[in-house]
Amino acid sequence: MNSFFLFQGMGLFALVLLCLYRGAFGPGVLNRIAGICAIGTKTLVVLLLMGFIYNRVEMFVDISMVYAFLNFIGTITAAKYLERIGELP
Amino acid sequence: MTRATDDIIIRTVARILIPFIQLYALYVIMHGHHSPGGGFQGGVILGASFILYLLTHGLEEAKTRMSEVRATLFSSIGLLIFSGIGLFCLILGSNYLDYGKLSIILRVIPAQARSLGILGVEIGVGIGVMAVMFSIFFDISTGGTIPDDGENLGERDE
Repeated sequence: MNSFFLFQGMGLFALVLLCLYRGAFGPGVLNRIAGICAIGTKTLVVLLLMGFIYNRVEMFVDISMVYAFLNFIGTITAAKYLERIGELP
Repeated sequence: MTRATDDIIIRTVARILIPFIQLYALYVIMHGHHSPGGGFQGGVILGASFILYLLTHGLEEAKTRMSEVRATLFSSIGLLIFSGIGLFCLILGSNYLDYGKLSIILRVIPAQARSLGILGVEIGVGIGVMAVMFSIFFDISTGGTIPDDGENLGERDE
């Protein structure tokens, strides 16, 4: 069962690389924000899978919830900055 | 300057989510000595909830909840709790922040007194970090001007 979680985490990590490409080279700011936000969501799931591997899932649930909150606030902040700039570059 | 957003989705989501974030921050502070977390981390989450309120409801409305004066007051209170417990241990004849001697006052065994002492210190650190986080964001978002009189409001907008 551990190797199942491990390979699932590795697959998610490959998806993180794809999202990182979109965040780095994506055309426009909206694509970049969406890519970074998707990376945050995938990191949350990878953290939970790590918790299953180490058999301490109750500890990693705490960390991943903090990650979810801060990811949400970060996305709101980036969108707010865009709203203040007024136009999409 | 941070204005209030017009989007009802963001306002509603923030209004629903902020109490849960604050409850979770209190949980992180309270469980700091059993699980990952502690005073600083819980204080950062608690400050992030206020920052989310400021981002979604604007500076004017956030100042009614947590003004600059209150942030300074809370940071001082947090530092006072932290150093007060430490000095209390010093007065009782032990080292600074050595909570074992608190068992004389609290009438519990020294191990339990240590647990309660570190809990008190974490509460103080959490309050202080929350206020300082909010104060830093407040200062950055207003660009250094303190719009207490309402005169500078809106000038730095565009």
